[in-house]
This record gives sequence, structure tokens and C-alpha cells, in this order.
Amino acid sequence: MSGSDARVVVRLDGVRKEYGDTTALDGVSLEIRAGEAVAVMGPSGCGKSTLLNMIAGLDRPTAGTVVVHDEDLARLNEKGRALFRRKRIGMIFQFFNLLDDLPALENVALAAQLTGVSAGQARRRALELLDELGIADRRNAYPSVLSGGERQRVAVARALMNRPALLLADEPTGALDSHAGEQVMDLLLDLNQIGQTLLLVTHDERMAQRCANRVVSLADGRVAGSRSLADGSLGRAW
Amino acid sequence: MSAVWRASRAAVRRRRLQTSVIGLVVLFSTATIVVALRLLDASSAPFERVFAEQAGPHVVAVYEPGSAPAGAAGAAGAAVSAGPFEQARLTAPPDVDPVYLAGPVTVVGRADPAGPVDRVDLWQGRWATAPGEVVVADQPPPPGFRGRTELGTVIHLRDAPPLTVVGFAYSVGQTADLWVAPAQMAALHPTAVQMLYRLPGDPGEQAVTTFTAGLPRAGLLAATDYLVIKEAVAAGPGAYVPFLVVFGLLGLLVAVLVVANVVTGAVVSGYRHIGVLKAIGFTPAQVVGVYLTMVSVPALVGGVLGAAAGEFASRPLLTSAFMGLGFSGDVGDGLGTGLAALTGILVVVLLAALLPALRARSLAAAEAISAGSAPRSGRGLRAQRWLSGVRLPRAVSLGLGLPFARPARTALTVAAVVLGVTTVTFASGLTTSVSLFSDIADRNDDAPVAVRPLNPAFQQGVTTRTDEEIERLLRSLPGTRHVTAELGADFAVAGQTQPIPVDFLRGDRDEMGFQAGLVEGRWLRAPGEAVVPSRLQHERGIKVGDRLTLELDGHRAELTVVGESINGGPGTPALLTSWETLQRIAPDRAIANHEVLYEVSLTPGTTIQSYLASVRAADPGLNAWDNSGVNPFTVAMISLSTALSLMLGTVAALSVFNTVVLNVRERRRDLGMLKSIGMTPRQVVVMTVTSMAALGLAGGLIGVPAGVVAHRVVLPMTSAAAKVDLPTAMLHVWHPTTLLLLTCAGILIAVLGALIPARAAARLTIAEVLHTE
Repeated sequence: MSGSDARVVVRLDGVRKEYGDTTALDGVSLEIRAGEAVAVMGPSGCGKSTLLNMIAGLDRPTAGTVVVHDEDLARLNEKGRALFRRKRIGMIFQFFNLLDDLPALENVALAAQLTGVSAGQARRRALELLDELGIADRRNAYPSVLSGGERQRVAVARALMNRPALLLADEPTGALDSHAGEQVMDLLLDLNQIGQTLLLVTHDERMAQRCANRVVSLADGRVAGSRSLADGSLGRAW
Repeated sequence: MSAVWRASRAAVRRRRLQTSVIGLVVLFSTATIVVALRLLDASSAPFERVFAEQAGPHVVAVYEPGSAPAGAAGAAGAAVSAGPFEQARLTAPPDVDPVYLAGPVTVVGRADPAGPVDRVDLWQGRWATAPGEVVVADQPPPPGFRGRTELGTVIHLRDAPPLTVVGFAYSVGQTADLWVAPAQMAALHPTAVQMLYRLPGDPGEQAVTTFTAGLPRAGLLAATDYLVIKEAVAAGPGAYVPFLVVFGLLGLLVAVLVVANVVTGAVVSGYRHIGVLKAIGFTPAQVVGVYLTMVSVPALVGGVLGAAAGEFASRPLLTSAFMGLGFSGDVGDGLGTGLAALTGILVVVLLAALLPALRARSLAAAEAISAGSAPRSGRGLRAQRWLSGVRLPRAVSLGLGLPFARPARTALTVAAVVLGVTTVTFASGLTTSVSLFSDIADRNDDAPVAVRPLNPAFQQGVTTRTDEEIERLLRSLPGTRHVTAELGADFAVAGQTQPIPVDFLRGDRDEMGFQAGLVEGRWLRAPGEAVVPSRLQHERGIKVGDRLTLELDGHRAELTVVGESINGGPGTPALLTSWETLQRIAPDRAIANHEVLYEVSLTPGTTIQSYLASVRAADPGLNAWDNSGVNPFTVAMISLSTALSLMLGTVAALSVFNTVVLNVRERRRDLGMLKSIGMTPRQVVVMTVTSMAALGLAGGLIGVPAGVVAHRVVLPMTSAAAKVDLPTAMLHVWHPTTLLLLTCAGILIAVLGALIPARAAARLTIAEVLHTE
């Protein structure tokens, strides 16, 4: 889906992030083009999640620039970054981060409602997404009664609610059993195949092979290597 | 160092905000409790306390000179005695300075203010030690107020040499109006001697009657007991004690509730930590120990500081209030109260911590670890779901749903806000009623200026105008609206053993605010009618509809009581009637113009000071003064109710603050997620503040009616104790706007409490929160 002439969606230039005496990222430079599925890999503590946070505007770099969709995140204030995330970013977390007090449909609709979309409109769009992800019949279920795979699908639906330019996934299968993990991987693959730009943080080589067309390796906060996977992904397992 | 202490210390250090909140809440609560307890203590028996401190006389016996029994031995049953002190009954003219002495005065010769009985509080100046000096009996004025006269004033009594005021003293036993040196008495022609007796213990009516009956009869002129004075005090300003008791009880209740709320919340939010402790080998008892220690440390620090702060705050507050109430300013030592408050609050803290800690003790480690983070179900889910479809900004509807997630904590917070709003409502109603009472009773707005001609016997530059001419002059002055002339005198009444004070009114008596004070019947319409003040009605049994016959030198005048009023004219409450009645009963009475008091109301735009100047300029023989001053009691009650309302409001706001802090802590993950999908910091603040504003609104909706009911119940209780019937206007002090504003007070308390943690929530680092599980 990607090509060298495709538009650059993410550009990191010499990004450095320090937490006190600890350097989480040390001069990372990286580009992600529209339609790419990039997997960031590396051992624990190498800076994967920090990199993802920088791109999502959840954290600010100590040095360097992060430009996403032509937006220099360092220039945005807290509110600006919130609006940026609302419009441009969809996030999927290892532990789903759903609101326990809301049923699946409302969890998904919430993302649109925050932008001022009416409850009715938001629900209609949420239902479409849940339907596309195959869990429309679970729309009225609360997170506590959903399986891990179902929760992650709801989280994916929520991430897609505002049609983000970039989907960020942080260990999306890390808390799932193998079957549910397979389902989520298929889902991400499908999304990328219809043009969704994807950045995965994972330490699961299999997932990277399966879902990404490029793997960026991090070690000690630096980019240790970047390799394209031949012919893109390995395709579906079945 | 034990593992329990080490874990507790680490927990205290790690949860700095929570620890600070507990310390702060306990500090304010303890301070409020100390003030409340001191208030209750001082209010429970103010007369008895002051009477005991001054060793007041239980019986004052008056003998003919030379016939008083010597010492306590002369009176069977007395524990201790003082005297004999020579006593003279003299008369102070109407324009005497200070004016409240006008009429008969009791002058007693005493060498000093101390002694075994009646230890007089000499609060200004010195004791009279030489002829020509006098000490005036008066209560010390509240802080910020001047006394009713000054040192150096010369008092002119009839048939007595002039006496210079050298000091002011207060005797709760009311043994004299003036004290002079014993050497002075010969010139005052004493007619009796005074013996003061204290009986053992706290004698009741029976003991006092028995003692009085057993006094040597030879030369005994009269014997009065302290129960009469006590009754008079109870019916006077002391009747405001129920207000103070209600404030004290509210203070206690709010403080205890808030502390319980905060401490319980602290332990419940630590369940996860409890689970971890269990997992690493802490026994259930050790876990309980950690949590009790963890909350005890800030509670102890806050409690000690709060007890000190409470004592510091209560002293001037109570001094001011009780001086305004007519008691001495000595409110006693609060060390015992402070210790009691500290002990009590620590017991409350430990009990509040113990209950949830015991529950945590029985939880399995895994269960405890998952508490608070494990998915919940069934808690306010229906409310959340319904709110998600409501046409409100999503941040608002999410906020409105938050309280349903923790119903128990929400209930405690609402309770704290309810009590805070109830207090604020009650206090505002009380303040309005007291001000209204003061306005009606003193007729501050209706008769702001009083004028009395100077007495030709004692003053220079007296007026040459007659009574009628003075009235005409006052009416002719620019700024005059209405003028009433008043003459007071005591009259015998057929069927009554004691004379009755009567005020005869002339001129614009219908326009001077007397009618606002009516509680029954109507105002004067025709000659031969009278209005009775409530005090006189209760004390003398004169009711509306009664017919009275005034008697003087063989003349009689029939009066029909047509109304009852809370005000009874200037000075001692007196029967109010028309000037024509005076002409009927004393047609030949020569009225000296300085006997007449003129009350003047002013046209809008006329200032009191400019009017007083114009009166003095028109006739320097007229003494005109500002009669509109708010009395010290009103000021004391208003300042007390305001201070307590503020303290209780602060405690209620702290409770809300704590709830929001706990909610934010619990919902860190949810907040992080909401921010990750684009919730702006402002929306986070709106959501968090809305959640508490909803509780504030609920608190206001319950607290305002509760405060109104408390006002409706306490005010009549007070009037019954004071033996004063209240005009219904004093109960109807609530206007829709006031009630709306008071309801908003609940929201304000909640919003103020929520604002800081809400802003902290908005600044939450998302990355940190979301990746921690």
C-alpha cells in the first residue's frame, strides 16, 4: 500500500527524550508514509512506547521535532495536542482502556461525541464500526462481560471512530490469548490493506511479520535498524 | 523498626496529597469542634459559670443600720458571707450621664472589689478609694465598642455631692448600681446595710427559701435571692443561647461526618496496596495496623494544630459574643476542651479507618489487588447509559454520571455539603431575623434621631422653649419627617402590687415604627387604649383585651389593652398609650420640658449627622443624638454566625476536595484514555467539576429546606425562652432569590472543592497512566 512517493505522515528528526537521568530516546529519526504499516520492535525498555507517545502527542520530546500530518507537535499546547489526537490519531492499548461504566456502543460513540457530534449520529457511526468488526451483537454489553478479543475490537472501533490518519497500536495483542490475538492481527491487517496507516509497537516478531510492511528496531533508545518486509505482509494465516 | 511502621511511613510519604488532605481536614474539623464545644460549654450555663467565677451571692439581705448579723455565723446555713456594707438609695435625674442610671439607684460603700463573696470584675479604671469617687456598675463593651460613658464623668445624684467616675465594674449578682469608698457613705445618708451570703454547693429554690426564712428577723428589711437575677438573665439576652447551641451541634456533626468520609475514602482507595502487602507476607492484623498508622499520623498532626487553632479562634469569638449577650468577657480556659476535641477526633479517625480496614483484612490478596481496577458492573450503569444520550456536551454528561459509580462515597459527600448548606442557610436566616428584631425593637430606621432638652438643674445653656415649642421647632427643621413626644412614668395599677411603667405618646406616633412590632391585636386608635410590650405581658400577666385602671393622687384612668408589641418604647419596656391618657390621669401635672423625649424620623436624603447639627444650631439647649446604632448583641451574633458558617463551609469544601482527589486517583486510567482520544484539558475540568457540582446541587436542594426548617424551629424556641412573642415577619425572612442563592452555595462549595483536583486531572500525564496496569 505504501510507496516512496506517498505522502509522509510522520516525521521524527533527532528526537531525544529524557526522564531525569534516564534517556528513553536518543536522537531517533524516522519517517512513516501514508498507507504504511510499521512495526517498532525491540527489547523491554528500549523506548518503543516512548516513541509511540511522542507521535501521539501524549508526551513532549526533550529535543528534536515530531511532525505528524504537517503538524509540529512541539508547537501545540495541551489543548492543541488534544484536538490533534481527536482528528488525526486513533490509539489501541494493550489493556484496552475502555470505560467500565459504558456499554460497548457508548464507549465507541464517546470519541465522536467529544468532538460535538450528536449522540444519535455518533451511535449510528459506532454501530457501523462494531458491525464491520463483527461485534454489533455485543453493542449493549459492558466491558466486564466482554472477552479480551471483544474488548480489543471495541477499542479498535473507538480508535477508528473519527477516521484517524494514523492508527497507533501499543502491544495490541499483549493481553490476549492466541486465538483473540490472531483475530486482532487480522483486523489490523485488513485495515492497513484498505489504506489505514499503522504504527505498531510490539515485541512479537510474528505479529510484526504478519501485520507490518516495515520493521524499525530500537535498542537503547536509538534506531538500530529498519527493514522492509518483502512483498509487504505475509498475508493472512488462513 | 517494625515492618508495620516502615510500610506505614512509606505509605504516608508516597501519598503526600492524600496525607495532606487528611491532615488538613482533621485540622479544620478539630478547630471547628473546639469552637463548637467551647460554644456549647459556654452556652450551657453562662450565668452559672460567671456567677461561680465571681462567687456571686446566693442571698443579699438588707438590714437596718447596726442590726446586721456578724459574718456567716450569724446566718445558719451560709458557707461564707461578706459585709455589712452600707447602702443608700438615691435618685438620678432623667438626664444623668450615663442615662441608664436615671431613676432610683443603689449606692454601696465597699473598700475593694474583692472578698469571699461578690468578687466584682473591675474591668476599667480603679476602685473608689476617696470621697468624691465612684465606680459605675456596667458590663464591659464588646471589642470594638465604646463604653456607655467615660472615666472622669461627674454624676449628679439628687441630695448627694457630685461623684467622679474612676472605674467601671461588673457584678453578675447586681449588688449595686454605684460603689463608693466607705468613707463617702456618711455624706450619702445610708439607710441600710447589705449582707452577702453564699450557700454551700449549687443551692436550688428550696435551699434558698429555707436559708432566707432562717435569717435573723431583727432589723431585716429585705432579702433577695440569686434565682430572681438568674430568671431575669434567662429571659433577657441569655435567651439567644439556643442559637449558639444549634451552631455548636451543627459544627460537631459536620466535622465528624467529614473526617469519617475522608478517612474511609483513604482506606478504601488503598485496597490495592493492601493486597500487595498481603501478597508479600503481611498478616491481616499487620495490614490493619499499617492503615491505622497511616491515617493516624496526619490525623494526630492535624488534630494538635486544629485544637490550637480552634482555641485561638474561639477566644475572641466567644468573648465578643458573650459580652454582646451581657455576660462578662471571660470565657474560661479551653485546655480541657482542646484535649477532649483532640481525643474525640482521633477516636473518630481510628473508627472510620478501622471499619474499611477490617473489611480489607478479610479480603483475599488477589481480590484486594484487583479492587478499584477490576472491571465493575452494576454501579450506576443505567444512569451513565441514560446520560450518554442526553443532549448535553459529552464532558458534562460524563461528569453527571461519575457520582453514580461510588454511591457510598457520593452519599457521604452529599451529606457533608447538605450540612454545610444547612448551616449557611440557618445562619443567614438567623442573621436576618436578628437584624430584623433589632430594627423592629430599636426602630433604628423609624426613629433614627432622639432629642431631649438639657436639664436646667445640672446643665448650662438650657432651652427656654416649652414642650410644645420644642415640638414645633423640630417639625419646622428641614429634614424632619415625623416627630413623636414621649413621657415615661411609673403608675399604680388597681389589682397590681407593683407600679407599671407607662409611656405616653404624642404626635406622629402612628408613623414611628411601633406597629411593625405588633404580635397580637392592633395599634392605638383612640384615647383610653394601650399596647402592652411582650416582656410586660409575660411578667405581669397583662393580656390583650384586659382593662387596666391607672391611679395617681386620686385620679383614675381606664385603659383597654388592644395590642401586644415586641417593643415597649425607649428604656424599660412600658405600656404604650396616648398623651390624652396622661391628661386624664394627671391633669394638673406640670411637665418639665427635659422630661420629654422627642423621637424624629427623617425625610429621604437627610443624613443623621447633618440633622443633629441643625438641631444644635437651632437651639443649643437641646441634646440631640444618633439613635440608630446597631446594638453590640446584633453585631456579636452576626459575626459569630458568619465565622461558624465560614468554618463549616470550608470543612464541607474540603470533604468535596477529598472526594474529587480520590475519584481522580481511581479514574486516572479512564482520564488518560479520555485524553488519548482527544478530550481537552478544559473538558476534563468541566467533567470533573460537573460531577461535584451535581452533588453540590443535590446538597443545596436538601440543605436549604433543612436550614429553613431549623430556623423555623429554633427561632420560636428562642422567643419562648426569652418570653418574647415574635412578629411573624421575623420567621418569614426567606425570599425566592435568597433561597436560590443559598442553593447555589451548595454548588459553590462543591465547585471550589473540585477545582484544584480537576485541574490536576487535566494535567495528568497520559502516557504514564495508560501504560501502567
